[in-house]
Amino acid sequence: MKKAFWSDARVAVLGGGSFGTVLANLAARNCAEVTIYVRAEDQARAMNSTRMNPNYVKDLVLDSKIRAVSTYEKVFERELNLLVFALPSHATREQARIIAPFFRGDEMVLHATKGIEESTLKRISQVLSEEIPILRIGAISGPNLASEIARGEPAATVIASPFVDVLAAGEAVFSNPKFRVYTTRDLAGTEWGGTLKNIFAIASGMLESRGMGWNTKSLLLSRGLAEMVRFGRAMGASAETFLGLSGMGDLIATCSSNQSRNFRVGYHLAKGETLEEVLSELGQVAEGVRTARIVYEFSRSRGVEMPITESVYRIIQGEWSVDQGLEHLMTRPQVDDEWVN
Amino acid sequence: MLIDPRTGSSPAVRFDHHPAVRGEIYRLNDRSYRESVIEETVLRTLGDFSSADPRLLIEETLYQERIRIRKARSGWFASPYLARRNSQDRAFVGEIQRQMKRSVGLEENRGLIREFAGHFADEICGNFEPGMYDFAIRMVPWMFSWLLNAASLKRVLPFGMSESLQSRLRVVGEVEHLQRLSKKGTILLVPTHLSNIDSLLVGYVIHLMSLPPFAYGAGLNLFSNPLLSFSMSRLGAYTVDRQKSSQLYKSSLKNYSTSILKRGVHSIFFPAGGRVRSGAIESHLKLGLLGTALQAQLERYQEGHANPNIYVVPMVMSYPFVFEASSLIEDYLEAAGKHRFVANDGGENILFLNFLKFFWKMFSTRSEMWVRVGRPLDVFGNFVDEEGRSIGPNGTSIDPRRFFMTEGAVKAVPARDREYTALLGQKISERYHSENVVLSSHLVAYSMFSALQKQYPGLDLYRFLRLSPSQRTIPEERFYEEASLCFSRVKEASDQGRLHLSTALQCGDVRIWVEDGVSQLGLFHDAKVVRSDQGVFSTEDMNLLYYYRNRLTGYGFNCGFSGETDEKGFLV
Repeated sequence: MKKAFWSDARVAVLGGGSFGTVLANLAARNCAEVTIYVRAEDQARAMNSTRMNPNYVKDLVLDSKIRAVSTYEKVFERELNLLVFALPSHATREQARIIAPFFRGDEMVLHATKGIEESTLKRISQVLSEEIPILRIGAISGPNLASEIARGEPAATVIASPFVDVLAAGEAVFSNPKFRVYTTRDLAGTEWGGTLKNIFAIASGMLESRGMGWNTKSLLLSRGLAEMVRFGRAMGASAETFLGLSGMGDLIATCSSNQSRNFRVGYHLAKGETLEEVLSELGQVAEGVRTARIVYEFSRSRGVEMPITESVYRIIQGEWSVDQGLEHLMTRPQVDDEWVN
Repeated sequence: MLIDPRTGSSPAVRFDHHPAVRGEIYRLNDRSYRESVIEETVLRTLGDFSSADPRLLIEETLYQERIRIRKARSGWFASPYLARRNSQDRAFVGEIQRQMKRSVGLEENRGLIREFAGHFADEICGNFEPGMYDFAIRMVPWMFSWLLNAASLKRVLPFGMSESLQSRLRVVGEVEHLQRLSKKGTILLVPTHLSNIDSLLVGYVIHLMSLPPFAYGAGLNLFSNPLLSFSMSRLGAYTVDRQKSSQLYKSSLKNYSTSILKRGVHSIFFPAGGRVRSGAIESHLKLGLLGTALQAQLERYQEGHANPNIYVVPMVMSYPFVFEASSLIEDYLEAAGKHRFVANDGGENILFLNFLKFFWKMFSTRSEMWVRVGRPLDVFGNFVDEEGRSIGPNGTSIDPRRFFMTEGAVKAVPARDREYTALLGQKISERYHSENVVLSSHLVAYSMFSALQKQYPGLDLYRFLRLSPSQRTIPEERFYEEASLCFSRVKEASDQGRLHLSTALQCGDVRIWVEDGVSQLGLFHDAKVVRSDQGVFSTEDMNLLYYYRNRLTGYGFNCGFSGETDEKGFLV
């Protein structure tokens, strides 16, 4: 029943970035029709004619069921069953507000944004539920480097939602023998995992840039995870979620891959470039820069100890050098090596 | 909506004129109708347990019932009503047990479950006697105005002037909206629950709003008072026995509620499941009974109704004093603090005298009670407009039927529906906070507590509550400084629509509202909760101060005690 329903279903992906494109391709394998929304009309036209999206994912051929559009009217032209937000965090609220009138009520909504709303510290799912007339909302997260999935290497993701039907939808739409879908009901933990790891990706880039080895990187990963758990708990997430794919898994992938934007920010910062130079060079969004600041401020006000986050924040701000940041971390008072301490 | 500035009440609330409005509940007076409700309840309950092992289920239920009956108070202290009820239960359980020994077959066991479910359903199901209702609605206002005028300053007022109830009982908010919706669909009223007064007051307010009588679940302890029991059981109250913990009973209770909601009987639940021990506004609601609204609506869609809307209407009561405050806050501290708190012994009796005493205090001073009817919601927590249509974020219109669709069809998905109900619970709690009317007395308690907290930083709550009387004083100047600070926060929240201010607070002059608040706060108690004497503010009872102060928690005004969060059961 489930498979039968979803093989006839219509899916839309908002956002033609690398992950959005990959998700559209995955969905096209299992569903009847996939629409991908991109802002620029020429990009949509180019995607439809060349069946490629070369600016974001090289060498990925779009599935024949995918149609790229550049207006929301076209996205909602026919009844949708699943809508995936793959937009940067700062665009989510605005776009959600624009499309709110199009919903009918039985759509499921997933988002693939690893970030939070800066001004309110709200998770993307909370932002969505404030703006669209839909309650069945979930997130898709995990160690998902778009280019690797595009090449068909085995990978897995996590669909998180308190609603079982969202989990079932995500599983039916995205899973295939090369792409495994895990599910969890801890939406808060999943979203915070995907958000917080970006801070440590920046730190990891700094270590890489200094040519440091695996001892140091492992130290960063495990103590970084401890910070994620502490913060997550303060935000109502459960600790176990951070041990899974969307926490530990994503942390390892983002901190070890030089493809990660946040990693590259750290890498160049440690070379002595300023934040403005790095960001303009990158030309894309690096969520970790914003996240580091908000999380640092909030952790201070809540009394959650996050020394690595503090160092990353101060280095980004230009207050500390990388060496000062490292010294700060290495000379802290002794604590027990328990991951929540 | 027009609100009379003089009384703060909507003109839709009629203190003088009481047209009798008949509702679906009148049919509960009809024997065959009542039986059909019971029958439906039993069938649903049997359906819930269709896959359970019948013998195991009976044995479990019998076991829990026997334990309960053994623990039940007997002897001198038991009320005759409860004693009679218990002996009926004992006889029934004994009978089932005898039959258990005889029967071995599956069918006989199923039959016994049916008997059990029938016993519970019959106990729960209330009846409604129109005659009694008519008598009560004539009687109660008369009693109120007699009390009011006997207790109040009428004695010193010039001849012919009398005080009216409407200057003391302020019914505000979405009254007309609620009246309109009550004709379009079924109302589920969900009031906050502070005091045993609430049941009485809500019933009366419903009547003032010219709404038909509502069915409501009343704790068995209320029935222990013969006078209340007599009237309540005839006013649409159905019985909720919180001592009965078996799954079969809980299921019966929910099924009864679903059955009547589905038939369009307006109902009332206190969704916190009991009076709030801490004095705060409810933040954790019991979802079991709340879920019956969603269930009833879903079933009516499945039966082909186009617009079977059930509307959930929050209601918030604000009192300057709660007569059970001492025992409630002790219960709370005991449960939250375990060994760190030693409670004084002392039970609490629901005496009719207490009700009289409450209203006497109320009327003999300048106290006001506020009842605020909140914006109506649908069963998913979306706002509902005047026409009964669900409105989503950004003014979008919602067809609630679509929310029940999974994989293209309207169907029950229990895990999904539980989640919807959890969201509804969160929404109701949010609305409680926004609809709350803050009284000057609440803010006085809050300011006093906050000033003391700043004077003794670093104490944990239990040490703090044990401050000696000489330590519990704040110089006048310091108190006013803290009160002004607290007021500015509350005012800001009020400007943002996160709460409402009472008339005394709206004036904004700190001297005036503090005086007003001090004179009204906790009037009912022997100890003075906040006393102002020769330039010094002090408190005679820290627990009570904590209780009244808690009313303003949950808004993020304060960081509370270090390391304490809401999840741990403490209040921030």
